[in-house]
Amino acid sequence: MVFLSLSRWIRSRGPDRYWRVQEVLKHARHFRGRKNRCFRLAVRSVRRAFVFATKARKAKKRIMRTLWISRIAAATREHGMKYPALIHNLLKCQVALNRKVLSDLAITEPRTFKSLASLAKRRREEGFLVALGDKGEPEGIFSRIVHSQFPDATLNPESVAA
Amino acid sequence: MTSRGTPSRFLKSVLQNGVGRYVCQLKRLSLVFSKDSANSLGVREFIEDGVVDFARQNPGIVVYVAPEKCSIPKIVAEYLNGTVKEEPVNRKTSEEIRQLIKKLSVQSGLEVIRIRKPFHTDSPSIQGQWHPFVNRSPSLRVQRFVKEKSKLESS
Repeated sequence: MVFLSLSRWIRSRGPDRYWRVQEVLKHARHFRGRKNRCFRLAVRSVRRAFVFATKARKAKKRIMRTLWISRIAAATREHGMKYPALIHNLLKCQVALNRKVLSDLAITEPRTFKSLASLAKRRREEGFLVALGDKGEPEGIFSRIVHSQFPDATLNPESVAA
Repeated sequence: MTSRGTPSRFLKSVLQNGVGRYVCQLKRLSLVFSKDSANSLGVREFIEDGVVDFARQNPGIVVYVAPEKCSIPKIVAEYLNGTVKEEPVNRKTSEEIRQLIKKLSVQSGLEVIRIRKPFHTDSPSIQGQWHPFVNRSPSLRVQRFVKEKSKLESS
């Protein structure tokens, strides 16, 4: 007797399952625990990892900016000023350095940062003199604006044109 | 495709290549193709037209032309830092192969993966990097010692 029908009941579900599984597992190889080996757990972890990566691309910009701001604030406090005063007065002096560059200067070029802080401090004092003193020609030199080709609407109206 | 899951590197050049003379980083180019099959038609046309001109214009690159029995034709590029890059040119036109070879000749052998920062410097700080005593007065370094007269008289 020869059993022929038994072999006909076995069906091949497809030869490519290994590669479809590996496509997911390759993104999970650096995970901790069984989710770096077992497909069922890895699928969920890999999907969460991708979702976190997508959300983090927006959050990274926010995180980096807060890091720069806290570094600049710490550096200005060393020179006896505060962060909002520094930023506002550098803006009034038309020094258009962004927070990334300012934080890099504070770390690698401390003397340049000190000069920027003292510029902002002097401009602040000139602003106080204009506000508290009599309405006339302000004495300060840093309060005079140089007219550039980029008119800045946020500049303080108390500043007088050169 | 997470940043930790995929490889990344910092911006660098192979041995500071452009600082002095520029050295072409592509060392060897091997065109592996088949003499008869239809998918190497583009390669055969390129060998007829452009390979000799390319080899004359780039004397630093050694070009090998290898007709052998292969299922798909490919271009193997070897670089000075040891990387070997194989590009399949299956069913590509002669013009596409020309563009591909031009791209390979201007690449350095460094991997084509995410570059973490678009800048690199060996000397990031000119004035000296900040440390906690940069903006403090140097009188912190001074220690005064007071002579104790009673001890001297007794000894």
